[in-house]
Amino acid sequence: MVQTLPVQHPDTLPVGGVPLPRRGVERLDLMLLAVEALDLNGGEAMVWMSEQLGFSGLFPNRVELWKRRCHNPLRRNTRRGSLDEAETDALIRILCALADRLYPMLRALLSQAEPEPLSRQRWALFEARLAELLNERMNPRRGGVQKLLDPQAGADQRRRLIQALALGAGPGGFERMRASLRDAAP
Amino acid sequence: MKQTFRYDQTSCRLQLEGLPDVSVGHSGAVIGILTGWSLQWTGRPELEGRKEHLMALMQVVLPYARQLISGVDRPVGGADLPVEIRGNSGNAASDRGNSGGGHRLQLRSSQPDTPPLEVLLDDAELADLVRVLDQVRLDGRVTLSWEMPDPQPLRTRELLERIPLRRRLAAPLGGVVVLAVSAGLGWLVPPPAPLKPVAPAERAAPAAANEAPVASPP
Repeated sequence: MVQTLPVQHPDTLPVGGVPLPRRGVERLDLMLLAVEALDLNGGEAMVWMSEQLGFSGLFPNRVELWKRRCHNPLRRNTRRGSLDEAETDALIRILCALADRLYPMLRALLSQAEPEPLSRQRWALFEARLAELLNERMNPRRGGVQKLLDPQAGADQRRRLIQALALGAGPGGFERMRASLRDAAP
Repeated sequence: MKQTFRYDQTSCRLQLEGLPDVSVGHSGAVIGILTGWSLQWTGRPELEGRKEHLMALMQVVLPYARQLISGVDRPVGGADLPVEIRGNSGNAASDRGNSGGGHRLQLRSSQPDTPPLEVLLDDAELADLVRVLDQVRLDGRVTLSWEMPDPQPLRTRELLERIPLRRRLAAPLGGVVVLAVSAGLGWLVPPPAPLKPVAPAERAAPAAANEAPVASPP
């Protein structure tokens, strides 16, 4: 008897009790921005996913969701204070669920089996859209933003964003992503 | 009754075969005793093994994927384990790290005189493998203990490893060189001669010479 499966999400969370560090908030928001760059309706999808996952209490509308993302210090209009654990966990769950939804696109970007011109075209489209969003929402005087916008110097970092989304997309992706965003400051 | 569960992704398919463990009250579509597994890759040899081999694969691939999310591609596994995975960047000092370079998965057989099998995966194939292993690990119908530690945040030292050694050493070495050059140049400048003590008479003479000359009568 051959069966394929529905996967259950783990209920136990390995690490917790401490707010997400500043660098983690930056990376979380940049990955959400990358999701928006991949999906033209990413903003809408984020709100929809938040409702689907039962976070309507935490983020009752898109403005509340946007306000939490504005804790990223790289933003043009950044908000002071820190996000509490429930909010960051909810944002990470939304990110992982969106990455799972976009997995075929992430896979196509990372695959070396794809024809080279097609792959280059996909990357160019993603990078153009990401640059547009970065220019619109992030502080261009920040070194991190400038590097991400740089066509050569930022290529590695942009690829790492896509790779992180792909590896955070599976059923165990939330645990990995959560642990990664809590890394110590380098 | 023998159970077969299949987990599919674009580039690989993992199939588990086993039986419900009736001694602990399993019945129906549950695997409590794993009798075998196979992993099929597109265009690569099929892997087969026992539970220990699948556990070894999980214990190496999943922590490696965890590190990659943080941008660290340190090898996981080793010569004493049946599985090892490392970035395929080749040169550890490469500025680009492992981005896009692929991953080298090495599987060592427990059979004597069998050379290790090396599989080169690109980022997409690694992501497929990770998803398949996650599906097995978190499948409620598979009641096996995988002994997988929870993912943990990386420490500062582990994160520093993602920066190539050459770049990490550039700033301190540059500082030492600048300090050495400055000190060397300082040694080249001759020290000023010490001031000689001046006698009171010599001190008075210049004072007199500075007085306005008196006009002499013609």
